[in-house]
Amino acid sequence: MNCNDCKDKLDRYVDRELNNTEVLELKLHLEGCPPCGDQYEFQAHMKRLVKVCCDKDTAPAAFREKLRQILL
Amino acid sequence: MAESPARTAFAEEALTHLDTLYRGALRLTRDPDQAQDLVQEAYLRALRYQHSYQPGTNMKAWLFAIMRNLFWDRFKGSRKEDVSLDDVGEFILYEKLRDEGARPEADVLDKLAASEVVEAVEKLPPLHREVVLLVDVEGFSYKDAAQTLGVPIGTVMSRLHRARQQLQRSLYDYAVESGIVHGNGAGPVPQP
Repeated sequence: MNCNDCKDKLDRYVDRELNNTEVLELKLHLEGCPPCGDQYEFQAHMKRLVKVCCDKDTAPAAFREKLRQILL
Repeated sequence: MAESPARTAFAEEALTHLDTLYRGALRLTRDPDQAQDLVQEAYLRALRYQHSYQPGTNMKAWLFAIMRNLFWDRFKGSRKEDVSLDDVGEFILYEKLRDEGARPEADVLDKLAASEVVEAVEKLPPLHREVVLLVDVEGFSYKDAAQTLGVPIGTVMSRLHRARQQLQRSLYDYAVESGIVHGNGAGPVPQP
């Protein structure tokens, strides 16, 4: 695998969408290629950051109760 | 009138996904009141069309699809209002930060305020925003996201990629505006 192949697959690697063979190939490349390894770390960090910042909101308790009254 | 046990069980299960629906609605409408209206309408519609849900399939995805379709029908009027994202280049934030001598994660990402990250997500065009919500925030697979949005997996992937590029651009702009980086090649702002 070269750096372009790695770049093409990085989104899918971060999103756990590659098959086992592809994961092994990519891991091997990342271990031997610090620039690609750094890019992977950055993308994974970005994904975690978006999740952590955006999944804090939960439905207000009063709204949950209102829905229960309506639906149940 | 007492509801049937099957309907009650269905509603109970559907309500276990309330936080996901509410978060999605909040990010799409950017308004707590509109989000609640949207979610309530989505649940009422889900109950009305309970027969079309296949038990054992992904109820969260099914409910989210109902909610986002309502969003597009009622809040946006026309899907044509969505604007596409131009290709802004690969890894723009990463490359700029490295060029400026910053450590992208420690010097910048970890210093961004959560509200800025949320704002960057909410600034994405809705068609791109919803893919980020499904895949990055709620952990949907590409396949489930594609099914939820009614688009091919390739479309999920391309929207996600462009959305992430745009997010990086927005966060870089914020990092410059807030003084986290200089933005002129001078590296990260020294900490006291």
